[in-house]
Amino acid sequence: MDKNQESTFIKLIPFFEKYGILLLILIMVTVLHLLQPDVFLSWRNVTNIFKQVSWQSMLALGVFMVIVTAGIDLSVGSIVMLSLMGLAIASKAGLPWYVVMLVAPAVGFLCGLFNGLGITLLRMPHPFIMTLGTLYIFRGVGNLISGGVPITGFADQIRVIGNGKIKLESILGEGAREYIPTSLILMIVIFFLFWIFLNHTRIGKWIYAIGGNPGAARAAGINVDRILVIVYTLCGFLAGIGGLILAGRTNSAYPNAGLQSELDAIAAVIIGGASFFGGRGTVLGVFAGVMIMGILRNGLNLMNVSVFWQQVLIGSIIILAVYIDVLRRQLSTRN
Amino acid sequence: MKFLIKFVALVTMLFSFSVYAGSHQKTIMLSTKGPGAGNPFWASVEAGAKDAAEEFGVNLVILSPPQESDVMSQVAQIEDQIAKGVDGIAIAPTDPNAVAPILDDAIASGVPVVYIDTNGINEGVTFIGTNNINGAALAAQYICDNVPAGSDVAILQGMITQTTGQHRAEGSNKGLTACGLNIVAELPANWDTAQGMSVTEDIITGNPNIKAIFASNDNMALGAIQALKNADMLDDVVVVGFDANPDAAASVAAGEMSATIAQFSYNMGYMGVENALKLANGESIPDNIDTGTVLVTAENAADFM
Amino acid sequence: MNSDIVLEAKSVSKFFGTITALDNVNLKITKGEVLGVVGDNGAGKSTLMKVLSGLYKPSEGSLYFSGDKVILNSPRDSQNLGLEMVYQDLALAGNLPIGDNIFLGREPIKKIGPFNFLDHKKRKKLTEKHLEKLKINVQSADQKVEELSGGQRQAVAIARATAFNAKIVIMDEPTAALAVKEVGKVLDLILNLKNLGVSVIVISHRMDDIFTVCDRVMALFQGTNFAESMLKDTSRNEVIGWIMGKKD
Repeated sequence: MDKNQESTFIKLIPFFEKYGILLLILIMVTVLHLLQPDVFLSWRNVTNIFKQVSWQSMLALGVFMVIVTAGIDLSVGSIVMLSLMGLAIASKAGLPWYVVMLVAPAVGFLCGLFNGLGITLLRMPHPFIMTLGTLYIFRGVGNLISGGVPITGFADQIRVIGNGKIKLESILGEGAREYIPTSLILMIVIFFLFWIFLNHTRIGKWIYAIGGNPGAARAAGINVDRILVIVYTLCGFLAGIGGLILAGRTNSAYPNAGLQSELDAIAAVIIGGASFFGGRGTVLGVFAGVMIMGILRNGLNLMNVSVFWQQVLIGSIIILAVYIDVLRRQLSTRN
Repeated sequence: MKFLIKFVALVTMLFSFSVYAGSHQKTIMLSTKGPGAGNPFWASVEAGAKDAAEEFGVNLVILSPPQESDVMSQVAQIEDQIAKGVDGIAIAPTDPNAVAPILDDAIASGVPVVYIDTNGINEGVTFIGTNNINGAALAAQYICDNVPAGSDVAILQGMITQTTGQHRAEGSNKGLTACGLNIVAELPANWDTAQGMSVTEDIITGNPNIKAIFASNDNMALGAIQALKNADMLDDVVVVGFDANPDAAASVAAGEMSATIAQFSYNMGYMGVENALKLANGESIPDNIDTGTVLVTAENAADFM
Repeated sequence: MNSDIVLEAKSVSKFFGTITALDNVNLKITKGEVLGVVGDNGAGKSTLMKVLSGLYKPSEGSLYFSGDKVILNSPRDSQNLGLEMVYQDLALAGNLPIGDNIFLGREPIKKIGPFNFLDHKKRKKLTEKHLEKLKINVQSADQKVEELSGGQRQAVAIARATAFNAKIVIMDEPTAALAVKEVGKVLDLILNLKNLGVSVIVISHRMDDIFTVCDRVMALFQGTNFAESMLKDTSRNEVIGWIMGKKD
């Protein structure tokens, strides 16, 4: 390229960095709409996608914050299960619905706190080790308190978050069956709150600083351990909210809840552009990563493609997403 | 001229009829617990379903989660097919409780549902499958007939969180106890061959006089056989499996596995599609359809290989 | 010449397990004085500075700021007392912009209701003003530190140490990674600070640095006080000898 073309391209790189992933989603949506014209963009299907990704998006957001600090939380899937079990037991014990609803995020909060304290107080060499241990411990505890059998049947109010629908009859006229899922509203609200937290508060700034250079954070007088405990606790809390959403969707606390979902969460974070080594990534990116995986799965389901292909594609996208980042870095250092 | 008009009218009628039939070909979804690749049980369910689809002129969609524990994938697949306008669903639920809400949604949207292989909890939905308690009882009876009274015996359970696992454990336990045998161990090996092997190793170490092992599925039975071979005990122990998949049938024919219980997984697929279609066409079907079980020994093993 | 002693360390020892990094070390510095600290690698210079800044707690001994005994629990405590530090490894978060690094831990905030939010505009403005004052050339105050050259990064670290009206500035090898022209800028800056009444402690192995800006020089050897002198009373050769553990 001649100098002029190259410099324009280089100038566009920051724009692509920020919004390129939205462009990718736009392309995916267009392609799928062309392949499945009557179904893909139907109200029902679009709300399906949001309902399907809503619980996983909570895990991805929590894991994102942890990854920004250059850590990892492998136990989020198990936290979902344990908080779901806690909610179920509270429900069966006859507690009022507003208490039962709080049990799931509360259990998640405690699990996250356990992770954070373990990592910092026990001086674990890497959070991988602590959260690998709690991956087993939390699910084991969940099985112990439930006896290994599902606990089913929750009050309607408890299910509102995961299963509620806000009907649009008042706007669209009588008989209109379109609705907005409550879980979508919850997802938007939570992502927005955490966007503010990470980008507009001191602690949010310190989370990125710790991921970039923990020594620099310490030298600046930041209590790194305290921030890490906060981050892991928030991650657990979000997983607990994921459990609450799942309670609405499945009406059951079942033993395999959340199994292996930590890997999906990590995949969404990486596809969304966060660096595995910490210090980089955006909340918008996480949302996009979650949507890309959800749209991909939904599209392949609609086309009756075997789940094995879905696995191959998702793995390939992870590698592709990181490779694009590698290329981008090479281009910017060359300049 | 009259003939021409009659001929044209007839052809037009036939044409519109076939278009009508074509545009109204029903789509039935078969939702299994796991992929047919890697599990002969689901493969034969799929085979039965495909044959029924061909015979009845049904557009068949086969989907399953990547592993049996991935409940939310099955939920998502059903959700997506409902959005696509599927006419009927034959489902082997990965977790009957967790998929109940989406099946309620399906029924409320006018999409009929039948359960195959594993019973669900939704009201008024027909179950098409093996009576696992009866099948396990058959296995227990075979063991009763082939080992001395009072002998030590053991049960390998499947995933005890699933009704199939619970029923086979229940049926075998009852039968073995009833004829006076001594159950020294009843442990889960989660339908898995390797786990079946390690659990059996532990059992025979503590109970060297064991005379029979009932494994709730063939995979675990094959694992048990391997453990017994390694301990040089295979000739002294009666091993009975459940499923009669081709590997097990071959093992029975070769004299290693003593017997197994055949389910008619092919029937589950076939009858699942057939009955889902009937419901989609507005017909009614019985609440419970037993696809049957039969004891498989060296005499009839060849039929299942 | 009765100048105030702004900072004093008395009998400071620091142990890491069985390793003695500092053994009964004394240091004092008066207002507007530039003190050079020399010593070989492992002599304990950086460790002593980290005790002074509060990053480390002394195993034995005490610190006095303007005559008052203090206990520092974190670098923030020393910052609040007017001490700023330029670390040898710069202690910058490369993934963050210049302004974020300068104000790390003390970000300007605006209150909305009961909540504190970052005041991005104020931070950017203050950063630009400060960089201009120090005549530091960068593309923008929003540039990420990892995109800067070694000299620019050093400048940012120094900018951070001089942005908060410090009374004492410690610089650990401030010219080590710099080109000749940039070295001159740093030394000029140190003299400027001196003229403003700011005390500066400079760790350096370069005799040019020590003999250009320092009033006094002290040497550490194997974690102990080895020698000390007013600059006019000593020579480069003698100081080099101190580093190697040689005394007359």
